[in-house]
Amino acid sequence: MSKKLIWRYIIVAVLLAWAVYSLVPTLQYERLTNAEKIELEEEGKLIDLESKIIKRGLDLQGGMHLVLEVNVPNFVKNIAQHQSRAYYDYMDKVNAKYEVSPEMDYLDIMLETADEDSLRLSRYFPSEERKTDNKSVIDNLLTETEHAVIRAEEIIRNRVDEFGVAEPVIQLVGKKRIIVELAGIDDPQRAKDIIHSTALLEFVLLKDAEYTQDIISRIDAAVKRINPEDISQIDTAVVSNTTSADKEISVSELLGITEGDASTADSSVLVDENLAADKPFSALLRNLGWDIGVPVENYYAVNKILNDPEVKRVLPNDLRILFSGRTKEVKTNDGGKVKFYSLFFVNREAGMTGEAVKEAKAELGSVSSEQMGQAIVNVRMNPEGTKTWARLTGANVDKRLAIVLDNKVQMAPRIQNKIPNGRTVVEGFANLEEAQDIEIVLKAGALPAPIDIIEERTVGASLGADSIARGVRSMFIGLLIVALFIIFYYRGAGTISIATLVLNIIFVLAILASLRATLTLPGIAGLVLTMGMAVDANVLIFERIREEFLKGKTIRSAVDNGYSRAFVTILDANLTTLIVALVLMQYGSGPIRGFAITLFWGIIFNFVSGYFISRTIFTSFTHGKKPLNKLSI
Amino acid sequence: MLQFFKKPNFNIVGKGKIAFIVSIVIIVAGIVSLFVQGLNYGVDFAGGAKMQVKFTESISAEELRSMFTEKDLGNPEIKSSGENEYMITINANEVENSDDLLKEALTGLNYSILQIDKVGPKMGYEMRYNSLQAIGIALLLILIYITVRFEFKFAIGAVIALLHDVLITVAFFSFFQWEFSLPVLAAFLTIVGYSLNDTIVVYDRIRENIKIHKGKPLKEVINLSVNQSLSRTIITSLTTFVVVLILAIFGGQVLFGFSIAMVVGVIVGTYSSMFVAAPILIAWEHRFKEKEKKDKKK
Repeated sequence: MSKKLIWRYIIVAVLLAWAVYSLVPTLQYERLTNAEKIELEEEGKLIDLESKIIKRGLDLQGGMHLVLEVNVPNFVKNIAQHQSRAYYDYMDKVNAKYEVSPEMDYLDIMLETADEDSLRLSRYFPSEERKTDNKSVIDNLLTETEHAVIRAEEIIRNRVDEFGVAEPVIQLVGKKRIIVELAGIDDPQRAKDIIHSTALLEFVLLKDAEYTQDIISRIDAAVKRINPEDISQIDTAVVSNTTSADKEISVSELLGITEGDASTADSSVLVDENLAADKPFSALLRNLGWDIGVPVENYYAVNKILNDPEVKRVLPNDLRILFSGRTKEVKTNDGGKVKFYSLFFVNREAGMTGEAVKEAKAELGSVSSEQMGQAIVNVRMNPEGTKTWARLTGANVDKRLAIVLDNKVQMAPRIQNKIPNGRTVVEGFANLEEAQDIEIVLKAGALPAPIDIIEERTVGASLGADSIARGVRSMFIGLLIVALFIIFYYRGAGTISIATLVLNIIFVLAILASLRATLTLPGIAGLVLTMGMAVDANVLIFERIREEFLKGKTIRSAVDNGYSRAFVTILDANLTTLIVALVLMQYGSGPIRGFAITLFWGIIFNFVSGYFISRTIFTSFTHGKKPLNKLSI
Repeated sequence: MLQFFKKPNFNIVGKGKIAFIVSIVIIVAGIVSLFVQGLNYGVDFAGGAKMQVKFTESISAEELRSMFTEKDLGNPEIKSSGENEYMITINANEVENSDDLLKEALTGLNYSILQIDKVGPKMGYEMRYNSLQAIGIALLLILIYITVRFEFKFAIGAVIALLHDVLITVAFFSFFQWEFSLPVLAAFLTIVGYSLNDTIVVYDRIRENIKIHKGKPLKEVINLSVNQSLSRTIITSLTTFVVVLILAIFGGQVLFGFSIAMVVGVIVGTYSSMFVAAPILIAWEHRFKEKEKKDKKK
């Protein structure tokens, strides 16, 4: 056996091993029952598994795809001030132009028209910027609309948890659009209402530490009462998972204001295990200095406990328990990183709502101020808000006040002193970006962003399942007919080509799983089409071999010549389709991109299996110890 | 060895004129149809709301329509899509209210919504624009690729052949008023790739044979090449045709537009690689040579 052939075998073996390795999680997942899925979810392992399987497009699993866009005309209308006769005339003109050519940018039309009419826009859109020429005003408006989109994205992100869907997609596209994808929702109208409704921004006082500790003890007791065995089992599983986590807690430390010295690794394991049996709820929490941390893996378990009716019964009426909107990454003693949500125990009633905020701006503290060079957010309240704000801050100096957007805590700064005039400085940001995030949140009350749904695609779950069944059926029937025909026509060689064809499909599925690409219905169509075209490489080769053979060449050289001469043709012919696939990937939207992806990889693997592997199999027959004396082609 | 043709030697290039007439007739008819009835743009491009609704009790399309017209809720397009299942399409101007319109019109009936495709008018406009751009870029890239790999006259021949394929497929969509949607557009681009695949295999043979048979007239070389690749062309087209046909039959309604475009495209693509792409080379050569002669006379 030649050396070259051994290398070929090794490459083929590696490819096969990779394909099997990539597809195992998908096969595992497909065989899970719903009960098993829930069990895995409680152990925090489902997310891990789900991140390795072939992702199904919304058209296959059912779900909703929305494209949202900020409505610039309405946004401008909302923030314009001192609206006068001249302003209305001007706006009528702008709107008329926009009606005629909707592809133009609205703000560009505004600028153009204002310049034509020599209208000073700064009159209607005053800002604190020094420059007041029309161009600057328009630039400012542009920034505002972009912020409005980011704000809307933030708000939607906050709310998406309410749907309880796996892997929701919320994506900013360009500077005006947001794509939202929710898999498997059964009430699209409700989902749209939730996404579309105005955000609720509140300022809520935190409960003090003793009170909070008391509540946690109450929850511990309640959990033990409900189902001592079950819960402790779940908890031990999770707790033992995270025994090496950083600042391991002891009971007294949990809410101690000082950060506890980390006990040695051994004892912390012990503490945790004891804790799990004794205080099942506390065991899920970690001390993060001022905050109570919930490791990401424990989020589900904590949420479940908090929503348990038994637990709810022991909680006082004036209490809300809220999670932070984002996770925080903390370094552990052994150098690893753990992600935490924070848990806040706050008043049921809001001290103030977001409508009171007149303006918020993130910036670096000026030279003369105490916060020189630090990232801060300057907030101003409206007249009514100023009064409430003064009362609220005056009565609660040194307490912490949570900024809550749609029931998610964004930040919980400490009130340092009474703020009589509404001018507030929020500090304590690591960098300017963090401050800008809070600026965006604070503006949610002052500037509700008019967001339109400009595209919606909803597929019912039953229709999705039906699509899969049809797609798979088409694939099998197609494969069967193609296989019968090719084997009938090319005999032995045909069998090899069908084997490589099946491999081709397996490889494409494997790469989809590895890349976390989405399989859509057009994607399945792409796979089916690939089957038709994949045979082509083999047909080209076989026809060449036949020709060479009929010319009187030996089997061996006919095969070698056939493969090498057909290669150029296969390359040229497939590259053009590859170009098309790339263009479609670039320009296509969701489902079309799914088609382009399978088409693209189908062609790539067509070279691999239709040419390379098929040649390997062929050569191992013709170059074997006993040379063939008959060619089955 | 099983073969379709023992030693094929058809005068395929000689049929160029007949093929030319057939193609021109279909394309002209297609263009007329485009002007008269246009393309049946789906909501993807025209904007609008398309909702697939399943009713628990039997109801006719007429009854459904009257539920809209009686309450003065516009006159949506209603098509049956299965047993007690209807596609209700509300036009672009009413997209924003489409949920309410549907709810109000169907009050008192038991139904579930299987699928919603809703595209705002602006988005539809944008998709049309993006699609044209995508087609333009794909064609340009292909032209560049073939010019690099072959000669310019091959590139011209290939692009004319695939324009021919797309035009004829568009003609079919206009004749039969099949819905023109995003997946159909993807199918069109795939046809472009597929048709080229066929054309290139033939061109590849021509390129090879020009070197082997140096003295022979181009016409004969081309005819020989087309004949040599005939088996391959037919087998490949047949397998691809079979799978897309199966997709059209069993793939369900969502994939129907895509599959039917592919079915037409595969047939036309195979035809054009033999009867259009190859003869164009001869025509080009012919003109070029005549021009050369004229130049010499001067």
